[in-house]
Amino acid sequence: MSFIEWSVYISVIIIGLSILVIFLRLVIGPSIEDRIVALDLLSANAIAFIAVYSIQKNTTTFLDVGIIVALLAFLGTVAFAYYLGRRGKE
Amino acid sequence: MIEILSGIFLLLGTLFILLSAIGILKMPDLYTRMSATTKASTLGIGLVLIGTSVYWQDFGIASRALAIIVFLFLTAPVAAHIIGRAAYFGKVPLWEKTKIDEFGKRPDDVGD
Amino acid sequence: MNPFLFNILLAIAWMMLVGEITAGTFAAGMVVAYLILWFSRSAWGESRYFSKIPLVIMFVLYFFKELIIANLKVAFDIVTPKDYMEPGVIAVPLDVETDIEITLFANFVTLTPGTLSIDVSPDRKTLYVHALYVKDADRFRNELKNGLEKRLIEVMR
Repeated sequence: MSFIEWSVYISVIIIGLSILVIFLRLVIGPSIEDRIVALDLLSANAIAFIAVYSIQKNTTTFLDVGIIVALLAFLGTVAFAYYLGRRGKE
Repeated sequence: MIEILSGIFLLLGTLFILLSAIGILKMPDLYTRMSATTKASTLGIGLVLIGTSVYWQDFGIASRALAIIVFLFLTAPVAAHIIGRAAYFGKVPLWEKTKIDEFGKRPDDVGD
Repeated sequence: MNPFLFNILLAIAWMMLVGEITAGTFAAGMVVAYLILWFSRSAWGESRYFSKIPLVIMFVLYFFKELIIANLKVAFDIVTPKDYMEPGVIAVPLDVETDIEITLFANFVTLTPGTLSIDVSPDRKTLYVHALYVKDADRFRNELKNGLEKRLIEVMR
């Protein structure tokens, strides 16, 4: 196996581990804000995973999915934070 | 040669992603957690995407990767800022070892 | 004529001379044309185009240097089990005035690991920053003001 194949495998393993660790934080919270930050980080990991996966599968189409995930993650975070800000006011 | 360079970028990027994942679990309160994690979505992903575009050596891929990187650098601080603000006004507690809080004793306690 | 327009025209001329219409040749043409214009800058009289671009490049390099150093600092703290953090919320008085300058400054502060901008006071004179390593509040304020803010003002004005 060549170096790039090794590094792709190791990267996939490490990103998977990070997703598990972040998921722990998503479950234990304690506040809603903590969970939002964890979700945001999960989508960031998804983008990195997509980039690595596109090398492993030797197709470039997946990077478009990465763009969409980045856009949606930002929108979701802003919507959650807006809702929290409203709740704090009332 | 190109493949080795690309592999190094990938490994460095995933290392930063792993560090921020450990950071979000280990840090004591929301604000320190956010300080540790805003960077996975910038430096970590940036390095991984640079590795990807180095591997493909294609203009279309490079421009797409650059688009994601620029977008993340624009949005990550905005997202972190609004969550931090909402958390502070929503009374999410600071860590007990926090030394100073000059925001709490600001003169005009209006909170927009 | 505007130096920037002229720069683009020269870059297009370069692209035609090379005979390849790609983004790579256009970028190379922009660099070469900028150098040509820079050498003939006395013919243009007063134009901010020539002093700004090097400042912007310097700012980007400085920012990435800070980004990597601060990232390594936070990474070290995450890896080692002992906590070295001394977090605090600091009020930083702002010299930047316009909306775009305040937005950029707050965003750059948040992008640097270990610092997080929380809010701007309603009179737009103070930025509240949450920082991980506050040895001394006044020293932290000075570092932020003399480093990032000074350079940002140089670029923006």
